[in-house]
Amino acid sequence: MSIFEYNGSALVAMVGKNCFAIASDRRLGVQLQTIATDFQRISKIHDKLFIGLSGLATDAQTLYQRLVFRHKLYQLREERDMKPETFASLVSAILYEKRQFGPYFCQPVIAGLGDDDKPFICTMDSIGAKELAKDFVVAGTASESLYGACESMFKPDMEPEELFETISQALLSSVDRDCLSGWGGHVYVVTPIEVKERILKGRMD
Amino acid sequence: MDQKVDLSAPHSMGTTIIGVTYNGGVVLGADSRTSTGVYVANRASDKITQLTDNVYVCRSGSAADSQIVSDYVRYFLHQHTIQLGQPATVKVAANLVRLLSYNNKNFLETGLIVGGWDKYEGGQIFGVPLGGTIVQQPFAIGGSGSSYLYGFFDQAWKEGMTKDEAEALKKAVSLAIARDGASGGVVRTVIINSEGVTRNFYPGDQLPLWHEEMEPHNSLLDILGAPEPMSM
Amino acid sequence: MSPSFDLPPKGGFSFDLCRRNAMLESKGLKAPTFLKTGTTIVGLVFQDGVILGADTRATEGPIVADKNCEKIHYMAPNIYCCGAGTAADTEAVTDMVSSQLQLHRYHTGRESRVVTALTLLKKHLFNYQGHVSAALVLGGVDVTGPHLHTIYPHGSTDTLPFATMGSGSLAAMSVFESKYKEGLGRDEGVQLVVEAISAGIFNDLGSGSNVDVCVITKGHKDYLRNHLLPNPRTYVNPKGFTFPKKTEVLLTKIIPLKEVEVIEGDAMEE
Repeated sequence: MSIFEYNGSALVAMVGKNCFAIASDRRLGVQLQTIATDFQRISKIHDKLFIGLSGLATDAQTLYQRLVFRHKLYQLREERDMKPETFASLVSAILYEKRQFGPYFCQPVIAGLGDDDKPFICTMDSIGAKELAKDFVVAGTASESLYGACESMFKPDMEPEELFETISQALLSSVDRDCLSGWGGHVYVVTPIEVKERILKGRMD
Repeated sequence: MDQKVDLSAPHSMGTTIIGVTYNGGVVLGADSRTSTGVYVANRASDKITQLTDNVYVCRSGSAADSQIVSDYVRYFLHQHTIQLGQPATVKVAANLVRLLSYNNKNFLETGLIVGGWDKYEGGQIFGVPLGGTIVQQPFAIGGSGSSYLYGFFDQAWKEGMTKDEAEALKKAVSLAIARDGASGGVVRTVIINSEGVTRNFYPGDQLPLWHEEMEPHNSLLDILGAPEPMSM
Repeated sequence: MSPSFDLPPKGGFSFDLCRRNAMLESKGLKAPTFLKTGTTIVGLVFQDGVILGADTRATEGPIVADKNCEKIHYMAPNIYCCGAGTAADTEAVTDMVSSQLQLHRYHTGRESRVVTALTLLKKHLFNYQGHVSAALVLGGVDVTGPHLHTIYPHGSTDTLPFATMGSGSLAAMSVFESKYKEGLGRDEGVQLVVEAISAGIFNDLGSGSNVDVCVITKGHKDYLRNHLLPNPRTYVNPKGFTFPKKTEVLLTKIIPLKEVEVIEGDAMEE
């Protein structure tokens, strides 16, 4: 078994028209045993910047704490929030620091609205190789089925409500083919004026 | 067949290198093949590297290791030349090579032949094999192809040869290329004496052919005697 | 005693998770696989400079992780570098060296040289004895003319008129070996690079998608991103999916993002 499959996870982010959505499953398990069904994998860095951390949950939480710490230092020094691109570089640098034999077993998904509310999404491997995409990014144990679902369901320039529907359907249909993730979903749709956070109903097996 | 094309394997120079003294100078010779496993990564590499104006080194073994050693020695010799105000001797150069090879023997996998000319002792050849020993020799051979050459050199090397007689020993490299799969490509030579340095290049298709060797061809089709490609 | 806390590190690798991860591995957990660029990258010298080429596929095991990634990295205005191997390593090592080159330019006020980049790269890779797995094709034009080098993960370097690297290097090299000649013109050069990369894209499973090209000549460069798109999407559904039944939502929370209203005085400059 790979270490990335210890807790199980599914993460996806999509770009719409002047908005983005980021979604995850809600399961936390230890191999095949489910421990929690309300687990938070997506965290807010600031109003318009979110990060989802797939992989080993202990590393995800540690990494999240370090990222929040670094972002707070940045806010103190610069008196502003980080741009998503800057934040992605920070995450990449923190992950690459542990390159030699000691990586965090996490694959992050970063999504945010940048200057003039341009959406930005990006994912990385566990040692910080950035992968920027114009359409969607996926991560976690369900990533293979997510690739397929998103590849066929995604279309460019969706409005927030359609984006929500698309990302939710992609997520739910993908986690149904992955034993290690599921138990509903957690979706954030972020537009320049509001953040809509929704909890989805999913299969409970 | 477990010979796989593993491109991430370290580069090594399965090599034939030679160094010969004659009356008045030295001749260095080398093939040009660099391989990763069974893939020829570079078929025209230059394994005879300059250290100073009058000292060169033939490299064999790991490409990365031999490059780093010769880069450091070149750097130290430049410093030394400036501090001394005159060219470094071959002995000094060879000793620096030895020092690095010996001190880092657990990490390095390279055998080198240092050759050059200086005004005090004329042309000299120093062999610095794997563990970091240093041996001054009238002639030295190295690399995987050298095993085919010991007998040849015992017979062919003579005290007090002329320059042309000595450079004729470059045929040793073509002999080794013919027998050693890890050596190949072209033959390069460097002649160093009181008058300076001469570099020579002998393309692979102009090398002498030895026992049952085939003529060089540009295409497999020439060998097969087929005038045009087979149709499906 | 004053309270202490961890300050952000100043740089370099950190090894503090090594022991834990070694323990996990000894208990039978598999170490992670990283994003690799199963790649075709090439370069050649033509009559007035060098041309670099790359495919645009990034893979993670058998999965295509990115269909259009950039593998030709910026080193200096007159130097670019193609990277193959572990994606994070090629990215990190080229970024690091390009910043060292920029500082060196500030210091000397002169254009960077290709050998400087070469030496910095090989020094770093040799230090890590092949553990930083970056295989690079470095090309550029400086005051001493056009240069093309290959650099292997263990730190060995070659200087060549034409070079290929990555998993598709054999396919690409067969094109170069049969068609390269000295003194190629610009268009012929680009054409040959495109052919070599295409050979990789179509014959090597680790390479795919599009062809990126970078032409560097004295005092000028052309970065032709997606110069050729030989693999367009063939299965586009023009209407896209529509979902008749709405997703079942258990809970909705709406957080309005408040605009800062300036009641008095001028708005603050950011």
